Amino acid sequence: MNSTMGIAVKDIKYFFRERGTLFWTMAFPILIMLLFTAIFGRQIPFNATIGLVNNDNQPTLSEGLISVFNSTGLFTIKNFTTQTDALKELNATTVRAVITIPQNFSQDLMSLGHATVSLVVDGTSPDAAQLIRSAFKTSVVAYYKAVLNYTEPITVDEETSFVGQKVGYKENLVPGMLCYPLLFSSMVVSTGAIVYERERGTLKKIRASPIRPINVLIGKTIAALFQTAITILIMAVLAVTLLAPALNWNVQLLIPIMFLGSMNGIALGLIISCIGRAPQEASNAATTIAIVLQFFIGMYFPIEYLPTYLQQIGKVIPMTYAAQALRDIMIRNATFADLLIPMLTLTLSAAILYGIGVLLYRRWVEK
Amino acid sequence: MGQKMIIEVEGLVKHYGEVKAVDGVSFSVEEGETFGLLGPNGAGKTTLMEIMCGLRRFDQGKVTIHGFDLVKDSIKVRASIGFCPQETLLYDLLSVRENLAFSAALYSMSSKKFKERVEFSSKVLGVSEFLKRRVQQLSGGMKRRANLAASIIHDPPIVILDEPTVGFDPTIKREFWELIRNLKSYGKTVLLSTHDMYEADEICDRVAIMEKGKIAALDKPHVLKKTIGGEPSLHIKVKESRVKKALKILEKYKCTVVADEIQVSATNPWEIMTEVSDKLVSQGVYTDKVEIVEPSLEDVFIKLSGRRLTEEEGEK
Repeated sequence: MNSTMGIAVKDIKYFFRERGTLFWTMAFPILIMLLFTAIFGRQIPFNATIGLVNNDNQPTLSEGLISVFNSTGLFTIKNFTTQTDALKELNATTVRAVITIPQNFSQDLMSLGHATVSLVVDGTSPDAAQLIRSAFKTSVVAYYKAVLNYTEPITVDEETSFVGQKVGYKENLVPGMLCYPLLFSSMVVSTGAIVYERERGTLKKIRASPIRPINVLIGKTIAALFQTAITILIMAVLAVTLLAPALNWNVQLLIPIMFLGSMNGIALGLIISCIGRAPQEASNAATTIAIVLQFFIGMYFPIEYLPTYLQQIGKVIPMTYAAQALRDIMIRNATFADLLIPMLTLTLSAAILYGIGVLLYRRWVEK
Repeated sequence: MGQKMIIEVEGLVKHYGEVKAVDGVSFSVEEGETFGLLGPNGAGKTTLMEIMCGLRRFDQGKVTIHGFDLVKDSIKVRASIGFCPQETLLYDLLSVRENLAFSAALYSMSSKKFKERVEFSSKVLGVSEFLKRRVQQLSGGMKRRANLAASIIHDPPIVILDEPTVGFDPTIKREFWELIRNLKSYGKTVLLSTHDMYEADEICDRVAIMEKGKIAALDKPHVLKKTIGGEPSLHIKVKESRVKKALKILEKYKCTVVADEIQVSATNPWEIMTEVSDKLVSQGVYTDKVEIVEPSLEDVFIKLSGRRLTEEEGEK
């Protein structure tokens, strides 16, 4: 057996013997996928309890409004007799908003063509507050149009354009989730590669042998790729079975992108591993870098959410191209030609990172 | 013993910051020789060995191993050496055989050659009984044997052992010496470091005594003992701590006291042995021990440095 494969085989055997490592390698993607499925796998990924105080003397119209609001499916209505009681629960955060319909609501609406409804929203959760406001206003407009035959002055003819798949939230999320192992698993696995050998003392054995630094790094990379592939596989299988997203699983394109993305993550981990003086130090560094990077690469939200200057940083991080390429393949049905630039970028960045890795190995490990 | 020099070290210097860990060391080792680096902790033995194995850089000098320059042909030098450091460099969760396979892979060894070498290790180092066991299940002695087997799995002409028996009990130590002698019988050149003078005396053809990064003396153990260690001396231990009275009785002899033991120096201690013993007994001083002690490498070291080999701790 050659020395590169020797290192890879040894590391893979060790991976299977270290039960804790094996367990967490399996548990990580399973937990993440179960969690994401629980959160985002539902048809409507939001549900909040809303307090309702209906003081309307002739509740025919007000009940119609509540019925429209309720039909959004985003809320669970909890009835109160007084606004004071409802606001107490709002303060206790058991309800997210309180809708109060006044005594003369139906009467005013019929006679004046106008009525006022009070909406008090819990502002401590801005996202939920925004969603409740928006849903309520939409319901009011919809109801108004239906009951009073109201016509909006300008009609917006709305259409959503999809290049490739028609996607929902989970379809957009799954490619981002598949970036998880590319970023976290690959980096965390490879971060231990050199620093643990140093800690065990076995690095001396490797260094005293005629193996070249690049062969050490390649051997470590093969083992790390194997472990990362296990995580990717588990996540992909669970994504398909639990979320059943309507995505294009073009394996011929997904594999090279995932391979190149993992290579970048692994190379970064190896660099940290070469510099790290202790496993804990290296592990902390890898975790910190991975957590920071996840916000730059568009895993969960588009990088357009970032301020312009941070977007520029995101654009020079190779993993951003991997994340985008995964979305392009799975959502936009990208072809090989469409992926040439991200592939070349990822290949070039991996080569640069490995070059740095070899230099650091010589500088820090062989010093 | 062959005539070819397989290791040549010339004017080697290594600094750790301001500290000169290796200070102009020069020596050469003949092919098939067992060569010892003897010295206390901190003398620079480990640093010297790690330099020779390519594990540390050096500031000055030249090292040629198996005909290859250490700097220019580092890969070939490494392939020629089997390095076995003080600590056990094995993977606990792998079996001994798997550890050997990993070591063999580092030298890109074929599976056929690997099988032969495992057989060799089984025969010469006695690892066959625990080949399939995981390292974490082995005793300390077994681990050391497995460690040595892994270090020489690639059949190197040179074996470098750093303090190979440190921490061993006497029985296992002697077993290990036998293993080292076995290696020599297979034509291996062995370079070992130790601070155990008996070990150096027992198994080394030649010994370099190191002190503060320098070689203070280098020769065959018996030559060092004879030329530097001095003559044999009579060692007497008297009962009931009557050292003072004994010294008075023996005042005409050249006596020194080392740890409650009277050491009588004489050109020929065998001649005075009976006379000294009789004198003490006749005046009521009885003895626990009266013996003639040949000079040891410890004496050589004391003569060279003015202190004992085991006085210092904490080698870097």
